[in-house]
Amino acid sequence: MLRNQLTASARIASRRLYSTRATQSLFVCARTAVRNPAYSTQWSLLQKYGGVVARRGYADVASTKFSRAKPHMNIGTIGHVDHGKTTLTAAITKVLAEAGGAQFTDYGDIDKAPEERARGITINSAHVEYETANRHYGHIDCPGHADYIKNMITGAAQMDGAIIVVSATDGQMPQTREHLLLARQVGIKKLVVFVNKVDMIADPEMLELVDMEMRDLLSSYNFDGENTPIIMGSALAALEGKTPEIGADKIKELIAACDSWLEMPPRDLDKPFLMPVEDVFSISGRGTVATGRVERGVCNKGDEVEIVGLGSKLKTTLTGIEMFHKELDRGEAGDNMGALLRGIKREQIRRGQVIIAPGSMKAVKKFQAQVYVLTKDEGGRYTPFMENYRPQLFLRTADITVAVSFPEGTPDASEKMIMPGDNVELVLSLVHDVAADVGTRFTLREGGKTIGTGIVTKVLETV
Amino acid sequence: MFSRRALPALASRRLYSTETPGKPSIKLVAELRKITEVSITKAREALTATNNDVQAAYNWLQDDLVASGAKKAAKLGDRVTQQGLVGVSILSNSDGKAKSGRGVRAAMVEVNCETDFVGRNARFDALVADIAHTAAFIAEAEDSSSFFKSVPLELLQDAPLITREGSQSEAQGTVGSVINDSIARFGERIQLRRAVSVVHTPSVSDIRLRLATYSHGSVGIPTQGQIGTLAVLALRSPKVNELFGKPEFVEDLGKLERSLGRQIVGFPTTKIRSASNEPDDGALYDQEFMMYLAANGERVGRALQQWAQQRGLTSAGEADTGLEVMEFLKWTVGESESS
Repeated sequence: MLRNQLTASARIASRRLYSTRATQSLFVCARTAVRNPAYSTQWSLLQKYGGVVARRGYADVASTKFSRAKPHMNIGTIGHVDHGKTTLTAAITKVLAEAGGAQFTDYGDIDKAPEERARGITINSAHVEYETANRHYGHIDCPGHADYIKNMITGAAQMDGAIIVVSATDGQMPQTREHLLLARQVGIKKLVVFVNKVDMIADPEMLELVDMEMRDLLSSYNFDGENTPIIMGSALAALEGKTPEIGADKIKELIAACDSWLEMPPRDLDKPFLMPVEDVFSISGRGTVATGRVERGVCNKGDEVEIVGLGSKLKTTLTGIEMFHKELDRGEAGDNMGALLRGIKREQIRRGQVIIAPGSMKAVKKFQAQVYVLTKDEGGRYTPFMENYRPQLFLRTADITVAVSFPEGTPDASEKMIMPGDNVELVLSLVHDVAADVGTRFTLREGGKTIGTGIVTKVLETV
Repeated sequence: MFSRRALPALASRRLYSTETPGKPSIKLVAELRKITEVSITKAREALTATNNDVQAAYNWLQDDLVASGAKKAAKLGDRVTQQGLVGVSILSNSDGKAKSGRGVRAAMVEVNCETDFVGRNARFDALVADIAHTAAFIAEAEDSSSFFKSVPLELLQDAPLITREGSQSEAQGTVGSVINDSIARFGERIQLRRAVSVVHTPSVSDIRLRLATYSHGSVGIPTQGQIGTLAVLALRSPKVNELFGKPEFVEDLGKLERSLGRQIVGFPTTKIRSASNEPDDGALYDQEFMMYLAANGERVGRALQQWAQQRGLTSAGEADTGLEVMEFLKWTVGESESS
């Protein structure tokens, strides 16, 4: 979907040229966030990106058109600084460039991890894109734990899978545990391991050991240690075009393993229908119409739907779908549409509720979330806060007061302080219920300022 | 695990060994790595050098890690270290009842590494805690105008590491060699950035010193995190020794101290009092005491006075009594050198 365009715009060769522009548009988005921060920022952000790309297309004849034929996936490399993450990334683009699936990006161009702003938040990360026979990949590399977490929270480049890079000479290191914990924390379920620098090892038996230890460690962090593909090669050999049996061939094997082992996240169109209600009208002679942008899924005229959130749960039927003042039979993710609802009075439906496929989502009153608290440079608070702080929660089109507390079992919770710039796990108790799932993103605001942004990690209480 | 005491006896067995050195088996390398977390190449080297004797290899590694760490440290010498931890260790906090127990002894250190992955690792956490503990231990009292005394890094590097009580760490040697040992294990540059100590016993019997501390952003050990503060408080009253005998007074004081620590870290605090008569955001006493709920929106300076009155530290007509923040330090990991 539109996310593909985002990655298309991140084409390394051209990205720096319009980077200032992209930043500007992000600020614009940050302002629209006042109205419906949770999803519109994300979408309008993507649109802006898309727009910039399209305009650039006219100027730059050489740039190729992005094809949506292949499904898109974001992956990242995680590993120790000296184990060759960047060399591997460069090697992948080189090998795929030979097959026409990428533009070769040299070591020096990747290893910069420029600062970016996603939804107003500064993140250090480097992006590369490439495609295999079956998929299109966005490849992310961040220098630190905190950057990956911010990436996850903002959804700037949600990682769907990862390549763990380990050097054959060192094997796993003490911090490899932290790498796997991070992968767990950002919600990655499947990994591929690349054991690099095998040409520096004289005794092939030691490779067995790396393999064995890695599988043990993966299992102890609840990954599938037994079946996870572990590929042994040399990224440098591939990059220099030497010894293909440990170089280019192994890179191809790695890419094939990514294709087959890492699972595609479901496409927005394949998910159950959801449209956040932005506005409600009553049209004489027809009934009540709710408008909004379809976030995911497909709806057809005559479908049963459910209206959920803000204390109510109603079942009704979609008697009509309208776009651009014309009637439609079908609406799908990305459409700005009006939904004509049977037997619903205007007072029964409000902005902040969602129209969903029946039973596909529940209204929640309390959830746990991973939250990034914006620094004052990012437009956030100047001062810290503690338990029982009550900001406004903006989730899709809803705007609800919440009380902040810490997860059960946090030591000295009453004395715990949260400062701008922190990543924290928080429990949010809502004054009104709202439809949300694990993975739903939201922002926290106070007095016209975005003070935090977060993602739901656990639903604690439903209505 | 191997207990350290058993090692010398076992190691000596090697002397009688007549086996020819063979290729170390995977099993032995794996075993050694489980104990030591060293790299595969290193583990193999150790086993080869010691005739595949795991215990001897363990000893061999203890020495070698320091040497190879030093080599690695030199190689990584120009890498940027912006991550890491600020650690505080308080050895004595005026909690004794006797006269000798009226003083304080503590230290704060900053240790840097390259990535926050290492910064979050338990082994690194323990390393910083042990260094802070050592710094507090070796510090000497000195008459000077300031409570805080910066510990010369060379002195600290050469001091033998004094591990904390109950510490699981098998590290031994000087602070510098233990850091090198960690460099060899993590493969990242690790640098002791700065250290201060405070050692002081008031000469007057109606004064007691206390230390307030807070560390923000801890992952494991709560006394170390991304921002740390150490503040020296003085309590003066004819009744101060009597009050310290009451558990509820000490408990209350602890609560107040933790609030002060949070206040210093959470707000842009740079000094205790405003230099002029103008209220100053950076002056602790002028800030609204938001981190202490019982302050009811009072400023820190006023809240401290009230606290002292309510707890019987100050009574009407007594001059020069009460509770004061004497000095404080606030360090943020990776900040540019100035404070």
